[in-house]
Amino acid sequence: MKTFLLPDLGEGLPEAEIVNWHVQPGDLVRADAPLVSVETAKAVVEVPSPYSARVIRLHGDAGDFVKTGGPLVDFELEAGNGDSSGAAAVNDGDAGTVVGTMPVGETIIVEHAVAGGSGRRSGRLRATPAVRALAKRLDVDIETVAPSGASGQVTSRDVEAAAQTSTATERIVADDEWEALRGLRRAMAQSMTRANAEVCHATVFDDADIDAWEADQDVTLRLLRAICRGVAAEPALNALFDAASMRRKKLLQLDIGIAVDTPAGLIVPVLRDARVATLATRREELQQLKQAASDRRLGPDDLRGSAITLSNFGMLAGRYARVVVVPPGIAILGAGAIRREAVAAGTEVAVRRRLPLSLSFDHRCVTGAEACRFLAAAIADLQLQN
Amino acid sequence: MAELTLVDAVTAALDWELGHDESVVVLGEDVGVNGGVFRATNGLQRKHGADRVIDTPLAEAMIAGMAVGMAAEGLKPVAEIQFMGFIYPAVDQLINHAARLRNRTRGRLSCPMVLRAPFGGGIHAPEHHSESTEAMFAHMPGLRVVIPSSPARAYGLLLAAIRDPDPVVFLEPKRIYRLARQEVANDGAALSLDVCYTLREGTDVTLVSWGAMTQETLEAADRLQAEGVSAEVIDVATISPLDIETILESVARTGRLVIVHEAPRNCGVGAEIAALVAEHGIYDLKSPVQRVAGFDTIMPLYRLEMDYLPGVTRILDAVHVTLEG
Repeated sequence: MKTFLLPDLGEGLPEAEIVNWHVQPGDLVRADAPLVSVETAKAVVEVPSPYSARVIRLHGDAGDFVKTGGPLVDFELEAGNGDSSGAAAVNDGDAGTVVGTMPVGETIIVEHAVAGGSGRRSGRLRATPAVRALAKRLDVDIETVAPSGASGQVTSRDVEAAAQTSTATERIVADDEWEALRGLRRAMAQSMTRANAEVCHATVFDDADIDAWEADQDVTLRLLRAICRGVAAEPALNALFDAASMRRKKLLQLDIGIAVDTPAGLIVPVLRDARVATLATRREELQQLKQAASDRRLGPDDLRGSAITLSNFGMLAGRYARVVVVPPGIAILGAGAIRREAVAAGTEVAVRRRLPLSLSFDHRCVTGAEACRFLAAAIADLQLQN
Repeated sequence: MAELTLVDAVTAALDWELGHDESVVVLGEDVGVNGGVFRATNGLQRKHGADRVIDTPLAEAMIAGMAVGMAAEGLKPVAEIQFMGFIYPAVDQLINHAARLRNRTRGRLSCPMVLRAPFGGGIHAPEHHSESTEAMFAHMPGLRVVIPSSPARAYGLLLAAIRDPDPVVFLEPKRIYRLARQEVANDGAALSLDVCYTLREGTDVTLVSWGAMTQETLEAADRLQAEGVSAEVIDVATISPLDIETILESVARTGRLVIVHEAPRNCGVGAEIAALVAEHGIYDLKSPVQRVAGFDTIMPLYRLEMDYLPGVTRILDAVHVTLEG
């Protein structure tokens, strides 16, 4: 039970006269609903209920005087709000603090607090964030690395060792000793590392339908001619790019690099001034160039200056490839193995000879649309009979 | 079972222990006739007498000094400091005497006193009434620092603090004094000191907090659940000595830790937790530990105080940083 005392109504008066009650004993009243109207020296004012609770008793009738601070209404509060323990709860009209505003809520807390933790430690992988980052950088799945640390943690050495496993496997099969890369192979390692780190590769794949080809067609010459047509349609593919200075150099003459597989490694001699009109006459020259490359008779100048390269890897195997652009060049056309394919011909299925093409370009210097315009023109040329 | 607010639970615990242990004495400014600035001792003097519930002069050094003397002579004083901002005159007694009585007398005397003080912001109080300087006390060897975050823990931990033979600084988060109710069996059962309380189990990130900030931390955990992130929530409860084992166990499972406290970041208790996890749990961390704390400024007056207190958004931001790792 709680007794609500008549508060000072703000005028410092010692008492107030009850005009009329708005509640009766037994009523359930909501907080802030009017309890009673009282008349002070100046006005009739309503006194609001401080609680949402049941009214038990009214102290006084209409016309009676109630002293400020004297009992006005007895309430019955819900369990927990009361003072049955003898340690009384908040006094009537008490804000619960002498300064500021005490936030009061009606939420009932339901929690399942457990002293301490669950006591479970997982058998999860242990490694510092730095080692985890290292694994990410070296493309190692850290979950598969055997830990060697004293606390069962994966160390940076463990990750580095795991990163070398793939190359190490090849070495163990081939030879017992590490072999320093030299010559062409070393140059390839360096230029490919640089290309991979620097170039923003984008590759587009398509097929040329060559079913109409006449019997005597030279694949390499046809591909070179297709590149000529492609560059004619989209000259932006024939430019060198210098990322350091953010400059490109549009070339007037079309020089095409030709990837050649030699016993010593990959070499890319350059066929100068390729033109549609004269290509057919240069078959012999092309053979000599390849031979000179295999014999290592070419100087550095013979290997420089092409913006675009042809890689006819399909002679060996493979359909499409993400061929690699080597700066300052900006594009490379890969030709896969010619095959017969079932393709839609109108509403029928037809078997036709197809030449798969992969065009990689440096997207820092070449737009996707430029690359596709080039490729479309190249395909159109390849699909010609001769 | 009664549903009590946090401050009701404090009153109930004091009432229980005054009724069951005659060596318990409550003292402080206005704790008797008036019932305390926050009503934490309301009715206790009437029930247990003026020699058990003692009104003192407005002199905090004296209140703490009296408590040390009473404790040394076999009583179990529970002294109240009205606001943490007024505790500093009592710090000399706490550090130079209460904390070291056992050590000084080579175990002949202990100091079974409790110093209660409401702390923290969020009630729009004037200057000096809103700080959270628990780290100062946690730094002092010999003092135990306990902070409840729910009515049930206020009841159980205060009883444990009173019964503990050594001095306890018992800090009550006044912002949540009356914010919610909880069923508390008023049966005199104490809770364990020196352990964390795991409020919610989770698998993706561990959120550690104490006092009033557990409210925002739990709310952040709810929001994370909606995002599909499972957060474990730990109430540290005893700031010193720290139950780091519970936190380490949790981090071993989640790999991520966000510490939330209202006190300024610089040299806060969060720094100690982060350091201990770095020492013993770094191999379990997937990403750097994050702290969400008050700013390293004077606690602002009430118009800005909610900007100062870490809110749910800041907690979520910190969690999202850890999830990148």
